Formats: sequence, structure tokens, C-alpha cells
Amino acid sequence: MTLKKKVAGFGLAAVIVTLAVAGPVIAHHAFGAEFDKDAPIRLQGEIVRLEWVNPHSWIHVEVVTDTATHVWMVEGGTPNVLLRRGLRRDCLQPGTEIIVDGYQAKDHSLKRANGRDVTFTDGTKIFMGSSGTGAPDDAERMRQRRERGRC
Amino acid sequence: MKNEIARPVLACLALVAMVASPAFAQESDWVLPRTPDGKPDFQGNWSNATLTAIQRAAGMGRVLTPEQVAAMEGDRASFIQENSQDSDPDRPAPAAGGEFTGNALFDAASGGTGGYNLFYIDAGDRVAVYNGEPRSSLVTVPDDGRIPALTDAARTRAREAGAARAGMGQYDNPENRPLAERCMLSFGSNAGPPMLPNYFYNNNYTIVQTLDHIMIMTEMVHDVRVIPIGDKPDVPEDYRPWFGVSWAHWEGDTLVIETTNISPQQMRAYAQVFAGGVGNPKLTERLTRVGPYSLNYEFTVEDPDTFTEVWGGEVPFNWLPDRVYEYACHEANYALFNVLSGARAQEREESTGNLDRE
Repeated sequence: MTLKKKVAGFGLAAVIVTLAVAGPVIAHHAFGAEFDKDAPIRLQGEIVRLEWVNPHSWIHVEVVTDTATHVWMVEGGTPNVLLRRGLRRDCLQPGTEIIVDGYQAKDHSLKRANGRDVTFTDGTKIFMGSSGTGAPDDAERMRQRRERGRC
Repeated sequence: MKNEIARPVLACLALVAMVASPAFAQESDWVLPRTPDGKPDFQGNWSNATLTAIQRAAGMGRVLTPEQVAAMEGDRASFIQENSQDSDPDRPAPAAGGEFTGNALFDAASGGTGGYNLFYIDAGDRVAVYNGEPRSSLVTVPDDGRIPALTDAARTRAREAGAARAGMGQYDNPENRPLAERCMLSFGSNAGPPMLPNYFYNNNYTIVQTLDHIMIMTEMVHDVRVIPIGDKPDVPEDYRPWFGVSWAHWEGDTLVIETTNISPQQMRAYAQVFAGGVGNPKLTERLTRVGPYSLNYEFTVEDPDTFTEVWGGEVPFNWLPDRVYEYACHEANYALFNVLSGARAQEREESTGNLDRE
């Protein structure tokens, strides 16, 4: 197990403990009902459209392979949260290349997936979890992002 | 190793932040704002997002110790920090078969798909501080902080309802899908009554008052309660709108909201609060502004047909220094389509034996 996986595992465990104690929670919809756990995917391509819509945002990514070109729709979070966290529509311009990993919709003809992890091609997160928690390197990470022209 | 260093630092920061939070530092010169008719002014945007659970975990007291606060808030801060780190750009697709956590609740929601990217979640970073006390649960009555046991009748109903559900295809049609997925109601009793956090996102409320009404809009699914201040409306027992029939009166500077006639569908959806109740429970809510950034919210659930005791709780509503956005859920609810379409695709595969997959 890589260090990164260990770190991610710890973080997930922390939030799960909170969720477990918090009581039964189901988000707007159950991801397990929409996506296929037996169909993991990794997508890399350029953004062609961003649907900034309720109840969830959707990123359209054009994925070119040796045999075909498909536009995939990747499900994101509620735009209300994205707005509060400072993500603007112009942060994800068409033509920006991104990497997505997640699971495909159960109806495989749809070319839709959840955005379990969404990054630029150098691995930096498109979406930052900074929310003023006082995490020691928040300010530095945000400064570095701004230097690279990212939101 | 990195965690071993970061966590104590984060825990200290979280403790300092908690002590310095608006709910703790009530301004001594604060004067209760009032509307032109002299009533306490609750108007504005509020949030009840919190790390504090609805029910108390075993072995905890009603009030959290500073160490417990630091641990809870430090863990959340660590989680956010660690999941904000860069990913490997050469990472492969996640594991086939899903990535399960071992937590039944979380796994039921995500189905092993990982669900949300962290950025999408805004569940609250702080424990609930009520009258200056960091709380271990939102439920405070009975004293153990737990929702009381069900009556024999309620247990029988639950068994029968479970058997009935087993005979229904949950993906057969839109009507069998949860109300939240259908964009008809917030989840987790967000809109109430009682108004509880959903522990995911958009736990925000807008309050508007007039001489004879109070309006409470819940951001999730844009649920709106328009509550008259006055006598109980004269409605028949079987009139059951969303959020029930509410009426309010002032007791000093506290607004008391009473509610009956809640929709049976809503009672089924808010399962933790109503536990399959089929009668006409009485909900009482009390709103009291206690500071520039703090609104105290108490609630009581009276349903003798379902619960062996009256129960209730206390939830801090904190001033939201931000906007509340329209959650126009029907705008592009692709998820409901995807869920039903996925079920049809799987049925085709099962009937033909062909995996319609690339």
C-alpha cells in the first residue's frame, strides 16, 4: 500500500466514523443505485462542457481512444456547495484536460460516471477541500494553486 | 508518520477555534434585535451543519470534554487536509467490485463506488455548541441522548412494512424511489419538523418574518414552511400536507411552533424521526435568539403510538455569513433517470444473458 493510499484510507475512516455516529444519512440519491461497482473507469480528456445545474453538476469530458471518441458525463457535487467553496464556472474552461476516476453508470450505454477523484493532468485536485479548517498548509497550498492560475 | 505529526497540531487548532467560535464568544454588548412590531428578529440565513450526531454514542456524557472536541474536530480537519493532497496522475481506475469501507451505512449509500469527491461534502467542521456547551448529541430528552424504544405496535408495523417492501421492486418505477431522489423532499429530516442536519451538505435555512407569519426555507430541495402566528388552523385529521400543519405563538421572546397532520409519505421518508409512525404525532419547536450569531432550536416529538417516551433535542443554528442558493432539484435530475435506466439495463442482461457492456 502506498503512502498516499494509507493517507486516503485514514481520511475516509475519519469521515466514516462521523457518519456512522451521525445516524442514517443518504445523500440526494444513493450512488450505489446509479453506478456500477463492477465497472471502474479512468477517463482522461478535455472538458467540452460544464453543466452547472441542480441537483448535481456534470462535467462533460471528450475521451479519445485508438478506436473511438466519446463524450463522458461525470457527476459532481451540488452547485450550491461549489459556489460557497469559491469554484466559479470559469475555473473549468472548455479545453482543459482532466483525469477522472470513478465508476460507470449501471446502464453502460449512457457513458456516464461518478467523479470519485477529479484532477488536472499533474494530479492536483480540481476541487479543493479547503474550508477554513485551520489545516496548517491550507494557505500555502492555495498560494501555489493561484501561482499556477487555478481557482 | 505525517499523520502522527499533523493530528496533535490540528487538534490544538481545532480546540482554539472552538473556544473562539461565535457561539462561545457572545458579545457582551449584544442587544436582541427586534422587528418593527417589537418581536425578536430571527431573519437571515442560518446553518445547523455540525459534527455532533443526532444520537449519543455509548459511553459519552451529554457535554463533550475539550479532548473529545479536539479529537472530533481534529479528525475532520485532518481528513480535509489529507484528501486535498495531489493524486497520482498515473493512477489506475479504482478496483473492480467496488471499494467498501466496512461501514454498513456508508457502504449502503455509496454502494462501493466511492460516492462523492470530498469537495462536494459540506457537513460541518465543528461540534454543536448549545448555550456554551459542546454537545455529544442533538437528542437531549431522554437523558441518555437516544431516541426512545419503539412501542410493540410500532415494532409490529416495522416488521410488516419490511415484508411489504420486500415484495416491491425498488427500481420498478419513479414512485418507488426515495422522495429525495425524486426531488420532492429534503433528506435526513432537513426541512422538518424537526429541522435536523443531514450530515452531507446544504444544511442552510433562510428565515423571513412578517407581522403574522414566519417563513423558513430549507436550502435542500428548496422546502418552504410558511407558518401563521396565531390559533391552530381548523383542518380535518386527514389533511396531510408536506411539513404538516403548523401554527405558532410567542412565549416571551421564544417563538413556539406546533405541528400536526404531517404527510404520511414524509413520515416514511424521515424514518429516524417517525420510525414508521402512521398516526398523527405532535411536534413542538422553540426558536430563541441568544446571540448575534446564535439561534437556539429545541424540538419535542410526541407520538405515544410509536415511541415509549416523549423525546426531543436541542440544535444550535449558527449565523451563515453567506448566501443561500436555490436548490432547483428538478432542473437536471439525471440521477433518477440513470438509476431507473441502470435497472432496465441490468434486467435486459439478466433476461438475455448478454452483457451489454464495452
